Amino acid sequence: MKVLIIGAGISGLFIAYELANRGVEDVTIVEASYPGSGATLRNAACFRSSFTSPEHVVLMKESIKRWLELRDELGFELWQKGYLWVARKEETLDTFKKLIDFHHKFGIPTKVLNVEDVKELEPHLNTKIITGAMFDPTAGKMSVLENFTKLYLKVKSMGVKVIPYTKVLELVAGNGEIRAAKSTRGTLEANVFVIAAAECSKEILRTVGVDVPIEPIPRHPIVTEPYVNILKPALIVDWDTPGAPYITQTSHGTFYLARDITDVPGASIYSTRVDIFSKTIKPLRELLPFLEHIYVLRYWMGYYDMTPDHHPIYGPVEPYINLYIAAGFSGHGMMMGPVTGKLIADWILSGKPSIEIANNLTLERFKTGRLVKELAVIG
Amino acid sequence: MGGEETVVVVCRCNDVTLEEVKKAIEQGIDNFELLRRYLKLGFGPCQGRSCIMIAARLFARVTGKSLSEVIADFRIRPPLFPVPLRNLITGEEE
Repeated sequence: MKVLIIGAGISGLFIAYELANRGVEDVTIVEASYPGSGATLRNAACFRSSFTSPEHVVLMKESIKRWLELRDELGFELWQKGYLWVARKEETLDTFKKLIDFHHKFGIPTKVLNVEDVKELEPHLNTKIITGAMFDPTAGKMSVLENFTKLYLKVKSMGVKVIPYTKVLELVAGNGEIRAAKSTRGTLEANVFVIAAAECSKEILRTVGVDVPIEPIPRHPIVTEPYVNILKPALIVDWDTPGAPYITQTSHGTFYLARDITDVPGASIYSTRVDIFSKTIKPLRELLPFLEHIYVLRYWMGYYDMTPDHHPIYGPVEPYINLYIAAGFSGHGMMMGPVTGKLIADWILSGKPSIEIANNLTLERFKTGRLVKELAVIG
Repeated sequence: MGGEETVVVVCRCNDVTLEEVKKAIEQGIDNFELLRRYLKLGFGPCQGRSCIMIAARLFARVTGKSLSEVIADFRIRPPLFPVPLRNLITGEEE
């Protein structure tokens, strides 16, 4: 079996890793730019399973389990230090209580904290302006730059071929299957094709008449100079401020700050905005007053590849018998990497996913209108 | 030129040595942007003003690529110099 994966981001690499692990010998990944150049190396590198849809919760729990196993197998760096959602309003605590009831049904030990508990958990927080918080101790953060590079070296050592700086322009279909991919550097042939190219999946699949509803929404993270690791939770979210500003301290020591701010879908990732600084920093400085003494180092842009229901698109692409997709992660592709690899390899090798609920996430759902419901998309 | 034991620091922000750069390339990191991210070259306060060209030249020599090809993906990010966070807060309401 000859497999061609389009896109060398975290999803493409994990799919290749799983296939190679299960004995598929001929796996090639083709990438338009350099490996990891999209959202993979631009994100906050945090993970959690405390979502509000069964699909996300089940798959993310499996993904975290796998990340932890890979920490030992591949030397990945990650820490389960928890997510802390801080409330400024009294009524938000009622929302938190409803959310933890949902999480508890799935065995996720989230809890609602009072102001005293929050103070103990993170003494740097300005507890005068908060009413409490929700905490997920199983969530965490990782060293994305190191982990991705280690995975890249691993898949290459397993015999996976990675072709960078080669953009796939169109797929060639015939007789109900995909025959080849035409690229900027020639035609690539295979028996199985996997599209893991984030928002570019849309234009690639359009060439064979398949519509994929993914919209690239610009995001604007800021990092500071590196400091000693002092932030105790992996991630702190300001729940009651619109756009839910959040902060994490990376393994390098830099503080990574971001907030969802309305922008033009598909705007260039080089269309930086000066207003981002104040909008992102101001609410977070209120929560963590020490931040005002810290220096901002860099600001860049990246995309959340949003689908209409904010869940990824997984699995077979009809009507073609040898075409698969893993895209539209809506901000969660990094944390879902291991489970993405597992599921797509399942589909390719045994025709169905080993985790049944993944069947709810196929492209088919946008035709049948059976979308997934999620209450909160944060972090 | 230093002797065998001389430690040559390439990146003064993050204390990355020439030896570490060579070792990472030997390990199989065949893309300069990945090398930079793995070693944090250009991720310190100077944003690569001193380390990038040293590391890029070495990378080009070892991999046989041209220097312009090696640094083609390097981007300069705002602000150009570190700025205190408080100075970036404006008074305007959102």
